[in-house]
Amino acid sequence: MKNFGKSILFVIIFFVLFVAFSFLLTPQENIKKYGMFKISSYEILEEKENTLDAIVIGDSLIYSGISPMEIWHNYGYTVFDVAKSAELIDDAYKSFEVVIASQHPKIIFFEGNVLYRESKNKPWFYVYQELYKTYFPIIKYHNNWKKYLFSSLNDSLEYSRLNFYKGFKYINKTAPGKKLNYMEYTDKIKKVPRENQETFAKIVDLCQKNDVELILISTPNMKSWNYSKYLGTKELAEQNNVIYIDLNIGNPLKIDWKTESRDGGNHLNYKGALKLSNYIGEYLKDTNLFKDKRNDKAYASWNEAYAIYKDMNNKQ
Amino acid sequence: MEKLIDIFNELNLDVDFMTCENLVDGRYLDSLTILSLITELEDTFDIEIPTVEIIPANFNSIKNIWALITRLKG
Amino acid sequence: MSYFSILYLLAFLPLVIIIYNILPRKIRPIILLIASFIFYFIYSKWLVIYLLLSILSIYLAGLLMKHVNDRRDKALNEEIEDKKKIKTKYKNINKLILLVTIIFNVAFLFYFKYLNFFQSIFHLKNKIIKHLAPIGISFYTLEALSYLFDIYHEKYKAEKNLLKIMLYLSFFPTIVEGPITRYNEVSDTIYAGDKITYQGFCYGAQRILYGLFKKMIIADRLNIFVKIVFQDYVRFSGPIVFLGAIFYTILLYMEFSGTMDIVIGSAEIFNIKIPENFRQPFFSKNIAEFWSRWHITLGLWFKEYIFYPVSLSRVVRKITTFVKKVFNNRVSSLLMGAIALFVVWSLNGLWHGAGYQFIFYGYYHFTLILLGNIFEPTIINFCHKLKINRENIFIKIIRIVKTWFFIFIGELFFNASSLKAGMQMLKRIFTHFTFHSFNKYVLTLGLDIKDYIIMAIALIVIFIISILKEKNVEVRDSLSKKNIVLRWACFYLLIFSIIIFGAYGDGYAPVEPIYADF
Repeated sequence: MKNFGKSILFVIIFFVLFVAFSFLLTPQENIKKYGMFKISSYEILEEKENTLDAIVIGDSLIYSGISPMEIWHNYGYTVFDVAKSAELIDDAYKSFEVVIASQHPKIIFFEGNVLYRESKNKPWFYVYQELYKTYFPIIKYHNNWKKYLFSSLNDSLEYSRLNFYKGFKYINKTAPGKKLNYMEYTDKIKKVPRENQETFAKIVDLCQKNDVELILISTPNMKSWNYSKYLGTKELAEQNNVIYIDLNIGNPLKIDWKTESRDGGNHLNYKGALKLSNYIGEYLKDTNLFKDKRNDKAYASWNEAYAIYKDMNNKQ
Repeated sequence: MEKLIDIFNELNLDVDFMTCENLVDGRYLDSLTILSLITELEDTFDIEIPTVEIIPANFNSIKNIWALITRLKG
Repeated sequence: MSYFSILYLLAFLPLVIIIYNILPRKIRPIILLIASFIFYFIYSKWLVIYLLLSILSIYLAGLLMKHVNDRRDKALNEEIEDKKKIKTKYKNINKLILLVTIIFNVAFLFYFKYLNFFQSIFHLKNKIIKHLAPIGISFYTLEALSYLFDIYHEKYKAEKNLLKIMLYLSFFPTIVEGPITRYNEVSDTIYAGDKITYQGFCYGAQRILYGLFKKMIIADRLNIFVKIVFQDYVRFSGPIVFLGAIFYTILLYMEFSGTMDIVIGSAEIFNIKIPENFRQPFFSKNIAEFWSRWHITLGLWFKEYIFYPVSLSRVVRKITTFVKKVFNNRVSSLLMGAIALFVVWSLNGLWHGAGYQFIFYGYYHFTLILLGNIFEPTIINFCHKLKINRENIFIKIIRIVKTWFFIFIGELFFNASSLKAGMQMLKRIFTHFTFHSFNKYVLTLGLDIKDYIIMAIALIVIFIISILKEKNVEVRDSLSKKNIVLRWACFYLLIFSIIIFGAYGDGYAPVEPIYADF
């Protein structure tokens, strides 16, 4: 019994220390306003408020395909990916709320693939992924010790404070996709499930109220996208008066599926992501809404982040 | 026993072999020394030491080695 | 499921511990057995059938040999004449059983591990696609063979219970990377089904944490540097290549001995005693000593089942008796040892992997050990004459550092992608010896100054623990005698230093299990 009591005490002290260290290591920028667990589950809350030009919300297609750092390097716009694998539309709605509360983006892109994922088909890892992301900030931010220890050696300070991927995940693998005729014409429409249509209407509403332009986008995806989904998404966009961009029909980005997919056509790899990111940069440029901030001193941290980003990519 | 001590004297060990209790475990006898020891023992006492007997327990002290010799002779 | 994975540490092992502890004593070993087969299945899927077949062959061979021995004893009791003849007759039957079972099991090993290599040597055209080997097959095979040899030599009686043999050979902590245990070493504790005690659990958990500390703070941190240097060695100057070899050696030790800490700690929780595989190898004063401290169970296996049998075999004896007549006892025993060592290191090199660089690695250490043996008396004499005390602390340090140098070079070949690459790297160390841009590379290949500081601190901690161990101080015992505040502070420090300073997540690539592929 004595040992049992001791064990319990040991575990309690462990958790106290765990939370204390988590708090210390989580990025401090918005921690008072949003709290540690919220920052841990939404990386975008690590960014200074009202500094982002555009946001991309979606699933793994987004974090594999759009690298905000490349857009920064080539165009000087600040973009952020808010994406997690197998994202459900209800959670995407929550992301919209978080994004709009902390930033004033002029444009939010939303990946159409999310529209077709139904919450009753939740994959097994979904709940686990949520829990892990939210409650173990220390796992994600443990390397921030470099910010506190040996602070006289400042060379690696920025390393740990900055988010240098901005929601992107660098994966440089190649597995060719073979289903080249995946956008074959059909007149069958695959409708977006009714519940998702309703949630989408709520998203449209939220954006309108906050003066954000919502753009539906379907990024190149050979495995799960097809012509009838295109038709369904187009129909939904028209009903809600939202711009819809499809990047699959006729392969406008000239994706070479032999070398630019990481897993046989489902996701783009880094090479493919360069093309898609440049497309987004070009699109933002054409709107004439944004300024190139590369020489703006207030955004100097983005240039530092880019240097680290390059360095990290080379290492992997 | 005297013959055994003679053999040990020729081995030039770094240790007082008469009292040492961990000749093998203390690594005073390395495997090559054990080999030459075995050939000497076999010649001198006219015995054959099978490989299964070459375990630390049998070679850790001069007493144990003597016990092994007597056992194999008998 | 690697021993370092969250799945093993936070799901598999705790689950086994709980189920084991709530069930009655008699069923507990069966729980370990089931857990072992699940573990194996997660790793190697249906190759588990190979494991079953092999275990069955070992079990049956053991029983058969025992049966033959029983009949021999009976015959010896009945017949009075010619005991020797009876003995040889039955011995020959057992020899046949032993041989057949060895061939059966080694054939598996050969098929999974060496077929591709030998095909490439003999330039056979119809290459088979590289097949996935069952996990830990190299360790498993040696362990299985040790049981066969021991039964053959009647070191102990063959096990009648198939389940016991199954558990011994498939025990999940040791199946992937050893240590290579002997049946009589573990049979006492592995089937006991002792209740898990508070102390056993704490000691096991502490040992596991120490392993994680080594692996996650040091080995994983060095991985990127080592990878880049060994892949792109043509880009780097000599000192960087040599630093790569040093870092790889540290990485290998931290990874392998860290795995052993988890293995031995896991078993300790169940009150099962597994032999140690390392004894502060970097305190060795020569290469021969290094091999008695590094991967100990492998060295002992080769010593017992290859070195002595070969050196005392009839052929070798004939040669040495002749040499003895011409020269003297010392030369003959040296030759005897040399022949046996040659066989041992040929097999040892090949055991480590199917590739010329591993064979080279074997002969490299063979040469160093042999030279050591030949010149040892001369050096001792020399020192004696110059009145140099070899036990003097400075001389000792020089000898230890000299040994390190040879180890680093050996591990450079061990990790090289091919023998040719290893040779070129070695050459590069000397031909491109310049410290130009040394600082730049040291700080850009995945490690910044703060990483070096953390590693240095961790290495000092490990160094101090090693010194204590070398002095036969059991650190966990002395810690458990300290007061609770200090004790717990140590544990929290250990746990949180792993979580915070561990090299995982963005920007790090953890080391894949190195020995599991052998």
